[in-house]
Amino acid sequence: MLEESTESEWQSEVKTGTTIIAVEFNGGVVLGSDSRVSAGETVVNRVMNKLSLLHDKIYCALSGSAADAQTIAEMVNYQLDVHSIEIGEDPQVRSAATLVKNISYKYKEELSAHLIVAGWDRRGGGQVFVTLNGLLSRQPFAVGGSGSSYVYGFVDAEYQKGMSKEDCQQFVVNTISLAMSRDGSSGGVAYLVTIDEKGAEEKCILGNELPTFYDQ
Amino acid sequence: MSRGSNAGFDRHITIFSPEGRLYQVEYAFKAIAQGGLTSLGVRGNDCAVVVTQKKVPDKLLDSATLTNMHHLTPRIGCVMTGHSADSRSQVHRARVEAAEWKYKFGYDITADMLCRRLADISQVYTQNAEMRPLGCCMLLVAIDPQLGPVLYKCDPAGYFCGFWATSVGAKQTEANSYLEKKLKKRPELSYERTVEMAISCLSSVLSMDFKPSELEVGVVTKESPKFRTLSEAEIDTHLVSIAERE
Repeated sequence: MLEESTESEWQSEVKTGTTIIAVEFNGGVVLGSDSRVSAGETVVNRVMNKLSLLHDKIYCALSGSAADAQTIAEMVNYQLDVHSIEIGEDPQVRSAATLVKNISYKYKEELSAHLIVAGWDRRGGGQVFVTLNGLLSRQPFAVGGSGSSYVYGFVDAEYQKGMSKEDCQQFVVNTISLAMSRDGSSGGVAYLVTIDEKGAEEKCILGNELPTFYDQ
Repeated sequence: MSRGSNAGFDRHITIFSPEGRLYQVEYAFKAIAQGGLTSLGVRGNDCAVVVTQKKVPDKLLDSATLTNMHHLTPRIGCVMTGHSADSRSQVHRARVEAAEWKYKFGYDITADMLCRRLADISQVYTQNAEMRPLGCCMLLVAIDPQLGPVLYKCDPAGYFCGFWATSVGAKQTEANSYLEKKLKKRPELSYERTVEMAISCLSSVLSMDFKPSELEVGVVTKESPKFRTLSEAEIDTHLVSIAERE
């Protein structure tokens, strides 16, 4: 019995069954994610940071297959390294999102990952881009991953235009907290990254410090 | 030992001459001096500096778009001397090699490894008949996390080496003698003294007093290890202290 279950565990792909979110505010963006990585029913990593750096002021949030998502992020990080040094300035968020989209679209049959790209650049300020299945779309906020299904209602109702940086951070933390409490594939701690003109600030909010809602 | 069939070709492609010389590589060195510019680099205690002349050949040219100082990574900078198109090609290759290293191995490339890689590429050009060597020479500076400030030079022959100070270009022999004399006693060089030594060397060897717009200076220091080029105002400050010292 024991042998059988270990076999099926290794056969299940390592997924970041996830909740990820990114929100724009005037002057920057806030990205948030949970930290659970599962292979079937097993939690393989309970503290993984799914907010990956693409450049100094551009991050992406990973969801779907862990390996696919990480690989795309690393490739785009490499491409942005060359690009930014050739143009002699920080790359545009749109450039990073386009690079991600191009890989996602070209290999859409082989890959199973969705990256939300968000950051700050001089020309457009804070921007959030969605790259699901190889499309490229700019949105004021975006949610992704398996946990996102449980919080569409919440984000649609609670999002307001013109929120401040602190409001956005609270909005992101609340969303992740709610998703983690309902989605079996999301959990652990919440990671937050706030990006503005001055740079990127990473924060980790432990499980017991997350906001609680009616049932907790 | 049949010399007949190779007669004359040893000057046209990179094969050995009967005396064991590679004429094409030697001509590549002459091409570097053709531009008429001289550059030099000096390593201080906690900084490394590269200096080059900025000659604007045409009055209609926008000098803000003309530069010989380039970032290869945020922390490694270089000055190129020689054929400008070849320089651009080598700089681009260096940038791609550096980024590829970071992607493959997960950490930033160091200046010595980057120099070694470019030298290896230049060496291939000295063996391939279908490609000529590049007519340019690169001086790299960086603050190495283990070694501190470093200055490397890589030339068309595929030779590279680390230096305390070195020069490239039309007046490199004179500049090298000047630097040898000044650095014989291995003096303690602060940031200001390093920049001033580099600028004074160029002034003395070219027998000119520079205006800030005629010089380009690139620095890396331990306090700010990111490569940056000095503004005209900063260059002016250094020129003024050199003048006051004399």
